[in-house]
Amino acid sequence: MDMSMRERDGVAIVDLDGRLDLSSGTALKERVKSLFDQEKTSIHLNLSRVEFINSSGLGSMVSIMKETRLHKGRLTLSDLASYVQEIFDITQLTNIFEIFPTEKEALNSYHPVVTN
Amino acid sequence: MRTVIDRIGELLSLLQSPDFYEREEAVRELGTYNEDEAVAGLVMAMEDPDLGIRELAANLLTQMQGDIASRLLIRFLGHGDIGTRNLAAEILVKIGGDAVEPLIEDIDNDDYDIRKFIVDVLGLIRDPRAVEPLCEKLWDENGNVACSAAEALGEIGSNKAVKALMVAVERVEDARIQAVEALGKIGDPSTLETLYGMLDTDDPMILYAVLEAIGHIGQKVSVPKLLPFLDSKDDCIGETALMAIVNISLANNGELDHDLPLDKYASFLFDGIRNRNRKLTEFTLGRLNHWYGSDIVESLLDVVDSVDEEDQKRISEILEQAGASATKLILQKLPAASTAAKLIFLETLQQSVDEEMVRRLLPFARDQEPEVRRKIAQVLGVSGWPGAIEVLKKLAADAVGHVRATAYASLGWLVAEDEIDFLFKGLDDKYPDVRDSALGALIVVGSPTVVEKFSADLNCDDIERQRLAVSALGKIGDPEVVGPLLNAINHPDASLRKLAIISLGRIEQVDNVQPLILSLSDESTAVRKAAVSALIAIRGEQAVADIRFLLDDEDVWVRYHAINTIGELGNEQYAEYILPYLDDEQDVIKIAATKALAQMGSTEAIPRLNQLRQDKNKDLAEAVVKAVSDLEEIR
Repeated sequence: MDMSMRERDGVAIVDLDGRLDLSSGTALKERVKSLFDQEKTSIHLNLSRVEFINSSGLGSMVSIMKETRLHKGRLTLSDLASYVQEIFDITQLTNIFEIFPTEKEALNSYHPVVTN
Repeated sequence: MRTVIDRIGELLSLLQSPDFYEREEAVRELGTYNEDEAVAGLVMAMEDPDLGIRELAANLLTQMQGDIASRLLIRFLGHGDIGTRNLAAEILVKIGGDAVEPLIEDIDNDDYDIRKFIVDVLGLIRDPRAVEPLCEKLWDENGNVACSAAEALGEIGSNKAVKALMVAVERVEDARIQAVEALGKIGDPSTLETLYGMLDTDDPMILYAVLEAIGHIGQKVSVPKLLPFLDSKDDCIGETALMAIVNISLANNGELDHDLPLDKYASFLFDGIRNRNRKLTEFTLGRLNHWYGSDIVESLLDVVDSVDEEDQKRISEILEQAGASATKLILQKLPAASTAAKLIFLETLQQSVDEEMVRRLLPFARDQEPEVRRKIAQVLGVSGWPGAIEVLKKLAADAVGHVRATAYASLGWLVAEDEIDFLFKGLDDKYPDVRDSALGALIVVGSPTVVEKFSADLNCDDIERQRLAVSALGKIGDPEVVGPLLNAINHPDASLRKLAIISLGRIEQVDNVQPLILSLSDESTAVRKAAVSALIAIRGEQAVADIRFLLDDEDVWVRYHAINTIGELGNEQYAEYILPYLDDEQDVIKIAATKALAQMGSTEAIPRLNQLRQDKNKDLAEAVVKAVSDLEEIR
């Protein structure tokens, strides 16, 4: 699986292209960890080019979510292909991940907190 | 021969009958006539000793067209009995537009009570024809009539009354307050300067009216004029000024260009929420993005039960943004909170749940409300804390199905490898959503042990369990499932064979494709088609040689699928395989071949395609035209 990075409005966006399985899932975990090391805690994964995810890939995603919580960060996903969405639905991972139909909607949700 | 008038005369006599039913029937029948005499009879029936008959007559009168009923009813506005006067007024309001002219004609009645009633009724009818006569009544010698005229003009809301009201504000002391209120309801911004000028009044009643009116007019420029009153020592004045600012804010999509000292008015605002005041609720929740006073979070937690579901969600979002300070307070309030509030609080906590928080939430797994237990199960799963597993197992044995379902899903998220046997028990639950959750959890876990157990299920006696196993293995999708799925290709049930093949095609990393190649000759067309797709997915163009023979399959849809699949490879070298099918006896095959040749970029096919341009099958002709056009672009 290929991964590319970009940034917009303080959110690190990772574009994934390929299959999310054991090896690519591990690589993704490493990539996300490096982002946390750089203190980038707002991370968005664009899955528009991910057509397949298996159990190992799911396990990696769950690990990434736990890591995000430990760093008090925020992780969002968007553009899930129908099969990937189906897997997330069956496993009810839709309850622990913030999933948006499009990247634009996901990025719009990153409002800064305003306090007095 | 009896005429209608004769009959009405009889009915009018019956209105005097001592018998209730006779009088009632008479009233009903009078209501069927349009003659003036019948209308007069109904009006007389409004004096009947029986309330039911009076109301029946009133209802029938409201349905009468024309002004005769109105004229007769206006006389009743001066009746000795207050109930009859009120009833007459009520009917006139219901009659509406048809009553306006008769009312205006009698607006100068000698009796001031009647004048007041007329003015009140005209205000309630809200017909703009009444504006001018009502403006004149602002100068009525009777103060009550003048007040009512001002109120009525406010109800009608016409700009045409503004000039008269502005004069009344200055000169008619009895109606000053009502005139100010009316200006507010009309909402004309040109009156603002006059109203600003009245803000220095010593009369608190006038001040309240002016502040309210400014608020109703709703212009943002008024806010600086109102701000000083927020510091008033008189709470009523301060709250009235704040309410005016609230109205202005809501009239401008929540935009205000000024900071507000809302801490001082926190009680007022949150009491408004508790009392379900829509405006105060909307304003307060809208401002909270800019206002986190020290007690605000606690106040928000207290009003959760007082707002509707949509506002509860807003409160939850605000609490999430408040962060740690809200979390601490929520945990304190949780034990005594209502069920609805608990669910909101838990939803908020879920966003930032950690191990320490989970420990404090564990007791709520025994809450008497199933929805709370279900939510706790979800929060425990989201926490990712392995220490929650034992509690989740208890919740997975809950008496309520959807609690069990959520508990199973959460066990999967915790990747509870040690609990695989427990998760498999969930597949035998009586409720489908529990079984689905258990399946989902096993897919997430997806370990070699899980694969082993599902593989064993492929050989069990229960066909549905076998189907579940094939589906689960396909969704687990790890390399370990390939072997069992290849075995499933030999299952006696065609639908299971198909399911296994589809899964293998998705997994792609299949070394031994021989079973799939054999499936190309399966007795089931669905299986053959699935095998075509799977082989192409796994082997790419190398599979063409394997599937080519299906271009002549006995089933037209298998042939169709084979042509499409080869076409989608987009490689012109396979065009020679497809070209002959332009002559197939089945049009649907010709269409598939046409599209496939275009996808392959086979420009050499153009002359042959052009021969089909005029085919009598319009779908084919259209497909050919498009294909040739696409190919011409390439050439």
